[in-house]
Amino acid sequence: MILNGTFTFNGPRAKVWELLQDPAVLAKALPGTKSLTKVGENSYEGVMKVSVGPMSAAEFAVNVELKDQVPPERFVMHVDGKGGVGFTKGTATIELLEIKDQAGPVTVMNYSSDMQIGGKIAAVGQRLLESVGKMMTKQALDALNAELKARL
Amino acid sequence: MKPAAFEYFRPRSVDEALSLLAEHDGDAKPLAGGQSLIPAMNFRLATPSVLVDLNGIPELGYIKDDADGLRIGGMTRQRQIERSPLISSKAPLMAETMPHIAHVAIRNRGTIGGSVAHADPAAELPALMVALNAELEISSTQGKRSVPASEFFLGLFTTAVQPGELLTEIRIPLAAERSGSAFLEISRRHGDFALVGVVAVVRLDAQGLCADARIALLSVGDRPMLAEQAIAVLKGQRPSAELIRAAADAAAGGDIDPSSDIHASARYRRQLANVLTRRVLERAFERARSA
Amino acid sequence: MPAGARYLNARVVRNEDARLLTGRALFVDDVQLPGMLHVAFVRSEYAHGRITSVDVSAARQRPGVAAVYTAEDLGAYLKPGPILVSPPPIPGLVFHPCTQLPLAKDKVRHVGEPIAMIVAESRYVAEDALRDVSVDIDPIDAIVDLEKGLAPGAPLIHEHLQSNAAAHVVQRKGDYAGVRGSADLIVRRRFLYDRGVSAAMENRAVAVQWNARAEELTIWDTTQAPIPIRNGLAQMLGLLESQVNVIAPFVGGGFGPKIMMFYPEELLLPWAAMRLNRSLKWTEDRQENFYATTQERGQVHDAEMALTKDGRILGVHDVFLFDTGAYDPYGLTIPINTQCTLLGPYDIPHYESEFTAVFTNKTIVTPVRGAGRQHGVFVSERLLDLAARELGVDRVEIRKRNLLGPDRFPVNHEIMFQDSAPLIYDSGDYLPTLEQAAEMIGYDAFVRDEQPKLRAAGRHVGIGVACYVEGTGIGPYEGARVTVEPSGKVRCATGVGTQGQGHFTVFAQLVADALGVDVEHVKVVTGDTREFHWGTGTFASRGAVVAGSACHAAAMAVREKILNLASAVLNVPKEQLELADGRVFVAVEPDRGLSLGELSAKANPLRGAVRPGTEPGLESTAYFGPDRGSTASGVHAMILEVDAETATVEIKRYLVVHDCGTIINPMLVEGQIHGGVAHGIGNAFYEQLVYDEQGQLLNASFMDYLIPTATDVPSIETAHRETPSPYNPMGLKGVGEAGCIPTGALFAQAVEDALAGSGVEITEIPLSPNRLFELIERAKEGRT
Repeated sequence: MILNGTFTFNGPRAKVWELLQDPAVLAKALPGTKSLTKVGENSYEGVMKVSVGPMSAAEFAVNVELKDQVPPERFVMHVDGKGGVGFTKGTATIELLEIKDQAGPVTVMNYSSDMQIGGKIAAVGQRLLESVGKMMTKQALDALNAELKARL
Repeated sequence: MKPAAFEYFRPRSVDEALSLLAEHDGDAKPLAGGQSLIPAMNFRLATPSVLVDLNGIPELGYIKDDADGLRIGGMTRQRQIERSPLISSKAPLMAETMPHIAHVAIRNRGTIGGSVAHADPAAELPALMVALNAELEISSTQGKRSVPASEFFLGLFTTAVQPGELLTEIRIPLAAERSGSAFLEISRRHGDFALVGVVAVVRLDAQGLCADARIALLSVGDRPMLAEQAIAVLKGQRPSAELIRAAADAAAGGDIDPSSDIHASARYRRQLANVLTRRVLERAFERARSA
Repeated sequence: MPAGARYLNARVVRNEDARLLTGRALFVDDVQLPGMLHVAFVRSEYAHGRITSVDVSAARQRPGVAAVYTAEDLGAYLKPGPILVSPPPIPGLVFHPCTQLPLAKDKVRHVGEPIAMIVAESRYVAEDALRDVSVDIDPIDAIVDLEKGLAPGAPLIHEHLQSNAAAHVVQRKGDYAGVRGSADLIVRRRFLYDRGVSAAMENRAVAVQWNARAEELTIWDTTQAPIPIRNGLAQMLGLLESQVNVIAPFVGGGFGPKIMMFYPEELLLPWAAMRLNRSLKWTEDRQENFYATTQERGQVHDAEMALTKDGRILGVHDVFLFDTGAYDPYGLTIPINTQCTLLGPYDIPHYESEFTAVFTNKTIVTPVRGAGRQHGVFVSERLLDLAARELGVDRVEIRKRNLLGPDRFPVNHEIMFQDSAPLIYDSGDYLPTLEQAAEMIGYDAFVRDEQPKLRAAGRHVGIGVACYVEGTGIGPYEGARVTVEPSGKVRCATGVGTQGQGHFTVFAQLVADALGVDVEHVKVVTGDTREFHWGTGTFASRGAVVAGSACHAAAMAVREKILNLASAVLNVPKEQLELADGRVFVAVEPDRGLSLGELSAKANPLRGAVRPGTEPGLESTAYFGPDRGSTASGVHAMILEVDAETATVEIKRYLVVHDCGTIINPMLVEGQIHGGVAHGIGNAFYEQLVYDEQGQLLNASFMDYLIPTATDVPSIETAHRETPSPYNPMGLKGVGEAGCIPTGALFAQAVEDALAGSGVEITEIPLSPNRLFELIERAKEGRT
């Protein structure tokens, strides 16, 4: 599943970068995260419960690794998730650009991701996968933006 | 495809049902027609630990009319609505839409409340609620509240109904004078989830200009989409063929956010949204003129 | 057949329907045995990978779980399955046999491959236990695309081979290279033809009872071939064939994949039942069926046809890739069918066909109704259509110019067919069939008058006509035993299985006519090795031809016994006797006779020896094995309309003119044709198995894998012609697959005709509105 898009954060790039590196913030922002802990220099482990309407059974054990980091401009995220309803594996490339706006600096994030999804959800969930992906991405980015505003 | 184990309750009243849902907060799911929930449970994509079966509560199934319009109980079977003479005479758009929902066997069990509360973006009834600007009554142990359709559908499978609450009544306003409506959808096979569907209600003023329009599209986003740009094109104007084309272009271009899946690309969905919006508006305005 | 055969060509209502329609028939899932346990399988979620660990300890602890088995537990029983069909002796043929283990060990090669078997007190508990099993797989890049699978450096699915090529075969007739230079026109294209699942109404199921005291194993199995299953399992389990009974009761549709014998489930349940000394049952659910039951898949053809300017075919050269899935137990039946069926009813003097079978990380491919014939027909019919357009010749006319004439039979095409015999068309008369179809659809008037008017009104209505030839009724043989019982009722037992074709009626009709009894008084028993244990199975449109001929032969032998005995009893030469209404009597004195029941009692005397050279009772067993298959043929025609704005298609008319030789029951023939056409429409316009790049099946349910419903299939008009086959006494030919063979080619032709002038060319099947929309848009962009 390919999900590309753009999101504007209301704050400076350095702050956005900081948030993206903080597992406590990510745990709150990523929808359905039950836990997320840093286990290495650039790697995290966690448990995420994805709930879409009545489909509440999707719990995943997730490994995330951050690579090719060029702070505060870009990084690549490798995600590996396994659960009872299937697995997901893929890469997301995040780019941050700071733009001076009259109201103050804003950060434009360009993201491009390619996630392979397998197992049961891939087999019977095709109709909804892209919508769910878009929804989770939006929820996560909105939550991060809210956290950013709270910290400024 | 056998479900995981669950606890089962069959209350005999709405109050009993609401208490059970509140008691098992978060872990309990209400069971209405079961046409979406049970397959999800059989696939083990949904694993509620408690099911509260609403099928033993006859007081939730009814179709009544009063001065303001129609009132339909949440557990009313879709098939009953489809065959109701009251619905055909007072809510013709609803009568026109019902046969497009899945198949008769499914409509025999499926309920209006279940379908609207489930809020599948490809379902017909949620889009119909938006086009009719229905009022949705939500009940809980704290009481009742009413939410207009325009504020009811919040996201993918997400509505204003909170865990522990039930959608107990749907209120449909009466059709206004000089109004017309139409429904069209395209699906791969009869009874399938629509690739795209459009449902519209339009009203003409005494001069024959478009006084008001509500156009809702299904299967083009994470919820039924109200085509606000298309409506803006139509309002106050004479509904000519060119105007209708412009409205259809606006709907397909700006009002929707279709996804791609294995059956249709986003681009193809936009094409269908354009063609169907045009055809639905043509039919609705024609019916408004002869009303 | 005796004179006055009242059931030949008779629309007899089916003997079996009352039971089927009222839920009184026995299907495998209906089998309930005392203390029966239920089975579920842990299956691979990955299409390609190395198994690094399988931990079933938690599953074994779960209350209600009787046993959990992995490859480690099978010991010597862990062996690759047999090759079911050896490739024919074609010179230069290369074939790498790779078959599946009953439970995966070391490597998984397709999503759904079984890794562990759970036996529990119910399927609910067994599925709960699936969650307890932890499997670690290191994924390897999956092979999904045929060309990428053959590219150097592609990961190897079977690592002992040099590449992912499973086979390579070239068949030749004449000298295409030599004649190519003299062609006035060469039409060359790439064609893609994808297939699908068989989607039988009943999934697979196996129930097993091991009677340790009697040392007898009984297996109820939804197989199309109980006898080979019995023989193979007996050998694998170290039992005598006679200790194993395999029963295929009523089976809800086969269509091919149920013949793919020795599925892991078929091998494992008997083994486990003997070990546990318990009865077991496994019923496949629909989602499993998409992974665990075989399918038929895509081919990629690069083909060209050389023609004269009058549209006469000089020759065809076809190079294609065939997707065989993760293993290849069924040999090369499908692509060889493709090679042979491409020739169709046409006179093609020079032909070169070359294919490479490719392993992919998808479910195993074995024949599904049509079995590769549709791919061949698609290529030749499309090439002819494209040639017709370039030469300015009408599509029906170009076909007429190339048809084999009736004086050419038998036609020896010199290449080899799936049954290892040379491809020989035994009989047929193609021109009248084509003319009848064209007339029934009103082809000339439509193209000349109606279509131009519709086009002027902005409507896109197209017409198509497609021809095909189908080899049917192949050997090796089948047998039957017919017995007249003292009640006067007749029992006919044969080894083939029945999956809804109407064998209980069709075979009864043949026997009833031979013996002069009512068809309802003939009880047919099929698919039970306790009743009959010599034969092969139901596949390749051979049931009526081969088993039917055996039933007929056995009944005629009983008829002889009846006449001989009655002649002695009535003291009248047998030429003066007649059989009708369940009696044998003197023709000119009808009251002087006896019922067959009475005669049967006399044939089994309590006193008085049976004389040498006779046998007790009125019973005979006979076998029938044709030298080669008989050739059925037909023409399909259709009119459809395309809504160019939405790219949706509506079929207005569909008709079939079909030649399946002598017809026993026209109603059942029509049923087969209707079913086949529905299946063909499904494959042409609705069904497609969508795999992603890592071999994940994205539509493993009927929500997203679309089979046409009653509202999607038009009324089908049919007409029959008969050119009897010389290879069996009744002149029968098969009809089970005919309906679905030319449908894809026909669809492509008619849609292209509807959109004529738009530049849309259809060289792939299936189509969908989404895909058709893309093709229309692409053609628009190409023109601007």
